Amino acid sequence: MFERRLFYHIDLLTIIVLAVLCALGVMMIYSTTHNGPNSTLYVKQLYAIAIGVVAFGVCLAIDYRTLADNSLVFYFVVVVLLFGVLLFGTTGGGARRWIPLPFFAFQPSEFAKICVALTLAKFFDESRRGSPSMTDLAVGGAITLVPFLLIAKEPDLGTAITLLTILLGISFLAGMRMRLLGILLVVAIVAAPVAWRYALKDYQKSRISTFIDPELDARGAGYQQIQARISVGSGGAWGNGFMKGTQGQLRFLPVAWNDFVFSVFAEEQGFVGVIVALGLYLFVIVRALETARLAKDRLGAYLVLGILSAFAFQVMYNITMSAGLVPVRGYTLPLMSSGGSSMIATLAGFGLILNVRMRRFTN
Amino acid sequence: MLGIPTGSPGVALPDDRRKLVTRLIVVQYLVVVVFAVLALAFWYFQVVQHEKFRELAENNHQRTLGLRAPRGVLFDRGGKILVENRDSFVISLVREHSRDIDRTIRLLARVVGLSEAEVRDTIRKHRSEPSYRPIPIVEDATLAQVSAVTAHRLDTELPEVIVERVPTRRYPADAMAAHIFGYVSEATESQLAHDGLHAGDVVGQAGFEKIYNSLLMGVDGARRVVVNSLGREIRTVEEVPPSGGRRVQLTIDYDVQRATEEGFKGMGYAGAAVVLDPNTGEILSYVSLPAYDPNAFAAGIDRATWASLNTDALKPLQDRAIQGRYSPGSTFKMAVAAAALEEGIITPDFTVTCHGGQDFYGRVFKCWRKEGHGTLDLRHAIEQSCDVYFYTLGKMVGVDAINKWATRLGLGVKSGIDLPNEVTGLVPSSQWKLAKLGEKWYPGETISVAIGQGQVSVTPVSMAVYMAALANGGKRVTPHLLRAVDEGNGWKPVPAPTDQGESGIKPETMAAIHDGLWMVVNAGGTGGNARLQGYDVSGKTGTAQVISLEGAKALKGRTDLDLRDNGWFVFFAPRDNPQIAGVVFTEHGEHGTNAALIARHLMETFFAKKEGRPLPVFKPPAPPPPKPPVRVTTPATVVGQAASRQPQAESREP
Repeated sequence: MFERRLFYHIDLLTIIVLAVLCALGVMMIYSTTHNGPNSTLYVKQLYAIAIGVVAFGVCLAIDYRTLADNSLVFYFVVVVLLFGVLLFGTTGGGARRWIPLPFFAFQPSEFAKICVALTLAKFFDESRRGSPSMTDLAVGGAITLVPFLLIAKEPDLGTAITLLTILLGISFLAGMRMRLLGILLVVAIVAAPVAWRYALKDYQKSRISTFIDPELDARGAGYQQIQARISVGSGGAWGNGFMKGTQGQLRFLPVAWNDFVFSVFAEEQGFVGVIVALGLYLFVIVRALETARLAKDRLGAYLVLGILSAFAFQVMYNITMSAGLVPVRGYTLPLMSSGGSSMIATLAGFGLILNVRMRRFTN
Repeated sequence: MLGIPTGSPGVALPDDRRKLVTRLIVVQYLVVVVFAVLALAFWYFQVVQHEKFRELAENNHQRTLGLRAPRGVLFDRGGKILVENRDSFVISLVREHSRDIDRTIRLLARVVGLSEAEVRDTIRKHRSEPSYRPIPIVEDATLAQVSAVTAHRLDTELPEVIVERVPTRRYPADAMAAHIFGYVSEATESQLAHDGLHAGDVVGQAGFEKIYNSLLMGVDGARRVVVNSLGREIRTVEEVPPSGGRRVQLTIDYDVQRATEEGFKGMGYAGAAVVLDPNTGEILSYVSLPAYDPNAFAAGIDRATWASLNTDALKPLQDRAIQGRYSPGSTFKMAVAAAALEEGIITPDFTVTCHGGQDFYGRVFKCWRKEGHGTLDLRHAIEQSCDVYFYTLGKMVGVDAINKWATRLGLGVKSGIDLPNEVTGLVPSSQWKLAKLGEKWYPGETISVAIGQGQVSVTPVSMAVYMAALANGGKRVTPHLLRAVDEGNGWKPVPAPTDQGESGIKPETMAAIHDGLWMVVNAGGTGGNARLQGYDVSGKTGTAQVISLEGAKALKGRTDLDLRDNGWFVFFAPRDNPQIAGVVFTEHGEHGTNAALIARHLMETFFAKKEGRPLPVFKPPAPPPPKPPVRVTTPATVVGQAASRQPQAESREP
């Protein structure tokens, strides 16, 4: 299954960059929690990275085509798990997202991303060449919709939306007509006020309206946005130094080890640190796009872009949010924010990407 | 590698493969653009706008807490502490730290035992201030209130509530010398605008505290602390300690001051007294009663107390010693005598025969003694306070000469005392009447002026200057309270303010007046109550009507105004080489002999202290003087007018 020859095609550069980003994450988690009640969170993160490395290895070792052949099994398992969350899940921050296991809580929605990417890649690979038909798109939409609704029900609209970016990414690559893309865009714009009126909950509305004018609720929803921007701006060019940022250290930013880890990073490491981190993220994304281009088959390209869509979307949204430039959404920063399931799933996803890259020359 | 490759060169790609590559390249462009925009945004916030955000972050986590400087301590001339500072606790609320102000108000009101409405009211008053500035909710909080708040704060229940320890003025008990000290309170808006003060500064608003505010105030310090997002202090960044105000020594003698107030209280009178060293103008004792408790202002006066002080008919906020104008009555006769002698109109041996009254300009003016005094010279006329004698002098001298010499002795002009808002009395002249009323002076009007009635009005402090001038041979000293200042290296005496002038009265004139004044106390005069064996007290009583006899009869039983006469006693001692001089004015004291009792007590205390004897205890006269009526509504300023309404005032000197 793992030929010796393949070993030489593992993309070491990506692995190194991933390791550096994980290390930065652990560092920031330590910095933001060392003087509080969660001071051992960085140890948890290290465990998650260890498990993630195993998952990475597994996803790398098994040929992605074999995995794709069994995608429906994975898909089915994840859907069952998501049902399980709704039935037996534990609650945190007003949402039911986790399945309690002996040593940690497990968040199936993070793994749903990989499974959906795998399933969609397989589906579009098998559909007719050229542009996917409306039927293809409808089926792809249905595949996405089931976990989407289950996750949205938790409620975790943010993670649910990342599933849509996977669908969008893969169908775009599969040759979806640009006209259709345009129509989708128009529908989204038209649907926005309708959604505002009927679909969004009050706390979601307040997040958006305070984004437009943070001072409306300077102590509530607008608070985080204001504080995030202050954190970033006060970092300056060179930063305040590790564990020396006042915004993060004195808890002006809530859950700084999670949603706002990049704000604190910007505060403590400055613009120079931000450029380095942005460069590292950009590197892994562009490198993965290159992998998609080099992929031996369409399946590989779809799979890489599917996984990458969710990753890149979350990275870009979180970093933009870190500067207070988009409404606060519960998107963590993959690889840096604290969170076991997210770390494991992200590393597993990169395992698949490198899997595709590694096997680009095989038959 | 980050560049955009265009596909493997030399290999012809199938159509759909090329399409896939193209779309991937589109995605790559998109990603690169987004990252570039992000980099730009971070550059803008972190580099371009860094300064602004750095400040915002600093405001977030740093608080500057004011450290109030203690005001300078006031000492008496012997080094006894008069006014010092104590620590008081202020419970304040920082709106900025409050997530739910209504809940905070509810809790705070309950914990400190106030009504919610009161707390809201206080906050409303400060609503225009920045929200990080603490709003004092309870000033001078009790220990119970402080411990209740601290206990709750430890529970994290009220993180926005802070308890500060601030130095607060402590004045002597029983409102002693209140009108000397005045009081302090937070600077008003107009003071903030003019005096370079900061909001919340505590400044002198009256009395010595006001006049010497810049000496006493000191410079507030500040402590910069780091707070976390809950507003809790984490550590102190830097501390600039406050530097206290200067220590200041007053000319007041604590024991003489005390004796004077004991005298007034023992007799049950309101009034004023100013006692000074006749040679220097140093004030030894200074009283105005009723007084207020300056302590009530020190920690923020409540509205009810303030309102009652302002509406009190007895006007406790008025400093009678420098702001009250009263008819001097017989105490004015020395000025008339001085005028007559200095103008060369009479000699001390000039005699007049008193039959109990005399006709002047077609009208009979009575002497206080119906049976008359017989024939007297100047010395005996002063001793007996014979009205007919002085009516005669007044007629001979004329109002303008009286005005000239009274003014030279310090009457009808400001004394220049170092206290704020001194008013001027009035010694009329023909010029004054022409300017003021546009009328010519009638010689008949001079007759009442000659016995200190009619238009004449004086402030007690000017009477003290007058007596000091008579005592020291004619020098018009400037009464003052500031004796020495400690700039940080021991007491440095403050030079006495320059004198207001020399009256130019001849020693022979002085000698004659001194003889008369000595006889008032030590021979057959009205001042026997002030006699002190061995000290040759010289003085003069005065009794001034607040209303004419006819008016009093007409109003009898129909008014709740206190119509009893005001009593004066002016004095110096000893007659030769005087060391103490002054005035005791008792409002509705009925007669100057009562005021003389108070004067005697304070002089006795002065000499006893000087000679190291035990201080005397004030003994009120055997039948206690009648208590003033419960409702007294004669405002002091009306007194002069009431008397002046009656041009034909009669002296009521027994």
